[in-house]
Amino acid sequence: MKDKILMIVFVLVLGSILTAALLAVNYVTTPVIEKNEEIATKSSILAALNIPFNSQNVEAVFADNVMQREQNGTTYYLTKEDTVAFPYSGSGLWGPIEGIIAIQPDFQRLEGITISRQEETPGLGSRITEAAYLAQFQDKRFTEGLKLVQPGRADRDNEIDSITGATMTTDAFIKILNENIRQAVPAIAEGEGR
Amino acid sequence: MRAAAKGQSLKTFLNGVWRDHPIFSMILGICSALAVSNKVENAIAMGAGVTFVLLATGLLIALLRRLIPTRVRMITYMIIIATFVIVVDRVLKALFPDISQAIGPYVGLIITNCIIMGRAEAFYIQNSIGQSLIDALANGFGYTYTLVSVAVVRELLGFGTILGFQVMPEGFTKWVVMAMAPGAFFVLAIFIWIGRSLAGMEEE
Repeated sequence: MKDKILMIVFVLVLGSILTAALLAVNYVTTPVIEKNEEIATKSSILAALNIPFNSQNVEAVFADNVMQREQNGTTYYLTKEDTVAFPYSGSGLWGPIEGIIAIQPDFQRLEGITISRQEETPGLGSRITEAAYLAQFQDKRFTEGLKLVQPGRADRDNEIDSITGATMTTDAFIKILNENIRQAVPAIAEGEGR
Repeated sequence: MRAAAKGQSLKTFLNGVWRDHPIFSMILGICSALAVSNKVENAIAMGAGVTFVLLATGLLIALLRRLIPTRVRMITYMIIIATFVIVVDRVLKALFPDISQAIGPYVGLIITNCIIMGRAEAFYIQNSIGQSLIDALANGFGYTYTLVSVAVVRELLGFGTILGFQVMPEGFTKWVVMAMAPGAFFVLAIFIWIGRSLAGMEEE
């Protein structure tokens, strides 16, 4: 009986000490982690808007150039040049894909796309995050929806090349973009009175 | 006496990095070794994480080894290991957000890495703090160098790079299979074969 009580006391005491240690670690790291996430979001927004910045001046550049607004529950970011950025999210082939879409002042063409989160196959689907792939979205017309074509066949101003060996991911990615644009752009146009 | 202790330390270390190597010899920690060995950078981060958890767990369990009631020792290992893994996860997120994102869920899976449970039960619960720390370091090093070796082959063939630097010539056709799970199985199996042959281990 004494053994059993000692056993329970041991587990309780050890558990309490370790939990206290974890609470301390959590208390110290939470503000740093939140700050990292905020900087990552701001970097992603600036990159999509093609505003130059570096790791030191992210916050200053963001504060100087970007205003956060909201309309009908859609949060978006407006720049002095009237380009607009907004977050998107959806399901890729293996997991969620999230990032920022930026559109030009005419509300018809893309300014840039960034990806801040994805869990696609390394070396195949994950290649959607490569700068060369994302660069082709610039100036593409989204009003009639973006269209995925065979690699190297993109010709019209709404066509996007897929990636060899990553058809499912690129397909899902274009669907996510079209869906998010379809939902967010009318709300933003309303917010900006256009 | 000192010489004997030194000899014992050396033996403990060599056991960890070679004779009782966690991956070649005991085939432990395979899950993470397969998953995180696609890039050298990830392999180093994972190796460092596992080594840290081994050291911290080894220290604490060896310290408490006379106090831990036998019947609840598994629970004790689990809560100690889980605590340190969460610490690693939070510290990575705070200080190295890029690496944390790259190896993502696998940090949490260190909790279930059998190397740590295995060493706790086989070694730390019966040995002094010093010996346990040496054993932890040796096993962590053994795990890390295997992961990094596998990752060098996989990153070189699968991405044409080492640590992100382009190594293969421009027109090199990437072996996509190497970047994916099957590549990990092939390369790790070859490494285990080579390791076992060199160590002269025979299947019973």
